[in-house]
Amino acid sequence: MLFQSWSFLVFFIVFYAGYLAFKRTRLNNLWILAGSYFFYGCWQPWFLILIAYSTCIDYFAVAAMERSGRKKTWLFVSVVNSLALLGFFKYGGFVVENLNQVLSSVGMSIRFAEADIFLPVGLSFYIFKSIGYVVDCYRGEVERERNFIRHAVFVSFFPILLAGPIERAKNLLPQLRRPARISVQDAADGLSLFVVGLFKKLALADMLAVYVDKIYGQPGEYQSAALVLATFAFGWQLYFDFSGYSDMARGLGRMMGFRIMLNFNNPYLADGLGDFWRRWHISLSSWFRDYLYIPLGGNRRGRFNTYRNVFITMLLMGLWHGAAWTFVIWGGIHALARCLTRGLESSLFYKEKVPRLLKQISVFVFVTFAWIFFRAESLSDASVIISRIFSGGLTGVGFPLFFIVMIFAVWMYQFVYESRFRRYINFSSVRICGFVFMILYLIIFVSSSGQSFIYFEF
Amino acid sequence: MPVNNITRDENKAGGAIVFSSNGMRLNFREWLIALGVLVVLIYILVFVWGKVEKFEAGEDYRFVYKLSEDYWLFERYCELVCAEGKSLVIGDSVVWGQYVEKGETLSHYLNELSGEERFVNLGLDGLHPVAMFGLLKYYGGDISGRDVLVHLNPLWLSSDKYDLRSEKEFSFNHPRLVPQFFPAIASYRAGLFSRIGVIIERNLFFLGWVKHVNLLCFADDERGVTDFCGWLVEHPYENPFSDIGSKLRSWSGDSPVREREAGTKAERRYDLPWVYLERSLQWHYFKRVIELLRQRGNRVFVVVGPFNEHILEPESLAEYNEIKRIIGGWLVENKVDFYIPSALAEEYYADASHPDVEGYALLAGQILENGLWGQPGGN
Repeated sequence: MLFQSWSFLVFFIVFYAGYLAFKRTRLNNLWILAGSYFFYGCWQPWFLILIAYSTCIDYFAVAAMERSGRKKTWLFVSVVNSLALLGFFKYGGFVVENLNQVLSSVGMSIRFAEADIFLPVGLSFYIFKSIGYVVDCYRGEVERERNFIRHAVFVSFFPILLAGPIERAKNLLPQLRRPARISVQDAADGLSLFVVGLFKKLALADMLAVYVDKIYGQPGEYQSAALVLATFAFGWQLYFDFSGYSDMARGLGRMMGFRIMLNFNNPYLADGLGDFWRRWHISLSSWFRDYLYIPLGGNRRGRFNTYRNVFITMLLMGLWHGAAWTFVIWGGIHALARCLTRGLESSLFYKEKVPRLLKQISVFVFVTFAWIFFRAESLSDASVIISRIFSGGLTGVGFPLFFIVMIFAVWMYQFVYESRFRRYINFSSVRICGFVFMILYLIIFVSSSGQSFIYFEF
Repeated sequence: MPVNNITRDENKAGGAIVFSSNGMRLNFREWLIALGVLVVLIYILVFVWGKVEKFEAGEDYRFVYKLSEDYWLFERYCELVCAEGKSLVIGDSVVWGQYVEKGETLSHYLNELSGEERFVNLGLDGLHPVAMFGLLKYYGGDISGRDVLVHLNPLWLSSDKYDLRSEKEFSFNHPRLVPQFFPAIASYRAGLFSRIGVIIERNLFFLGWVKHVNLLCFADDERGVTDFCGWLVEHPYENPFSDIGSKLRSWSGDSPVREREAGTKAERRYDLPWVYLERSLQWHYFKRVIELLRQRGNRVFVVVGPFNEHILEPESLAEYNEIKRIIGGWLVENKVDFYIPSALAEEYYADASHPDVEGYALLAGQILENGLWGQPGGN
């Protein structure tokens, strides 16, 4: 069930009615669990076996950590189990394919069977959520959840199950332990978030996808200008798609009285790469920071080790997005740029002398360039796109002016919101008009056939 | 604290969770205002659009082919022709004129031969009786106190498939007009939520207008475009709302005329599996069409066929004659004015059920000769 579908609407109405009835009873978490499993099972029933298995292993591993005193052993068991699941379903095919290529290139005749392994939607997200919980328990930062139902709800909470945010136990578990409290403002806030997310996804992301798919589908047929604009459009499509989903997820959670972490904070207004990664997919970047970068030593062991840690973190973050070399290269590009600009961004010159708009444009241009690898179907496609971008040619653009107007309007809004003129767009009348416009646009112009979310593929 | 100064601490448990990276947030009172404004705005938009969008019904009032599923427009057509006091001719592509141009249809020849511009072509391509009932029920409310000639194309009774009772899924015309749940239509396999969407669309008037806007302004069959975004990509530098009024006028002549099938004589004969009328869904709903029109104070005249009997095997022809007999019997019993014309000469058919130009002229002549409204006749 996609959030923007009629079937989800019916599901949520039924679920929400039950949720309101049970919210102050002992059945509350059980109802959420039932709803979450039903939601997940609608995608593919056997996915439930996987999530139940992962939930059980982590629950009992954390319990064993506490009881046996052999914390490291049980941490190892849990993390290895989680990574094994992720590795098998997500990277199994990729590993086998590359192994076969290596064997072939050295002249060996051995071949491993390449099975078509189906990646369960949401696996990357809930596995990371679970790993985070287990590590937090190991570190003593979070109290073990003794109630199995509540633990299962934490793992499978349906608003954030499929594409995040990758919520932390220290934020979500306390809320699950408290009796649910939903105010009228929570419902209003949840609806606000949901409508904004729906608009971003259906009106903006899906709109740009039509152009991006057309150009990236046959990059060799288009010249520089079209490819540049398609890349630019993809950057915005990705942002609207993913942040739209996050907003909808947070909105649904809010309607249930839950505060879920912010996942995107106007990333294209970032004035440095460090700033970009504090604004883009915050739940993932902070997860990698807290559970990989910092344990590796972070920036505390000299420059070489810092750069090494940055590279490892960014390469793995790239790989998390998909089992393809293009994602690894994307992570590598970001790692390289981060290492090169780290010193610059912390310099007084950069902070005080370079105009903010110039910094923002530079970061945006770089990030957009890196998206080429994120979107390209293959390495060869990426190289075709890049070579054609730099070979010139202004014909065959066909980029709708309307798209430019919409993107510019959104960018201007964000720019003004982060400026000292914010109060002018915060007037009640402006906000009301904004919502009326969004809903009217959705009713009139949005096709009933919405595209799936990009991040479901991860 | 400005949103762009989020730090790690603010996302920890116990700390404040930032609401959003933008200010788009309404409280309960503001939501009520927004929804109120939205409702008013929708009413105004639809009203103003109806005033701005001038359409000339054009010769024969024949509906634009590409807008055959634009029921909001059909409703406006009905309002227009009923206000002009016209007599309506309703049916499927036989009435619409599949193989002929405007000015060569049944309604045109009825006008020409009767000497008055009285008859209006309200045929829609593919409008089988089940869909016809839905169309008149949900979108034909203005058709009251009028003279209505309703055409029944026997093709819809020629097999279980056309009768929508085949167990195999069949992609038929006007699925949004048929009953979505009861009675269950075997051939109709739309999903639950798709059907719910259809019912919602029927009951929210502006959704029909939305469909009209999208069909009129953004649908482009030649380029495979069906929505706003697709249209923008194909017309990147154009304004989709420029000269709204001209769009309907420019399409009024853009209706495909199918090439008639090769040869004027039937090269083979068919043994069509005619349905049993007692079990026929299409016949059941055709009767309901008559009842509905009469309930609304209309004078109804029914024309059945004429089917191209020259393509039928003798046994199939006998079954078809029996069907005509039963239909005629029911119409007499229920005091419905009707005419069941004999089959035209073979050369006057374009296919199994559609006459050609001369065929329409002949048929119109026969109908007028036998009398309309108050003068029953037929076989």
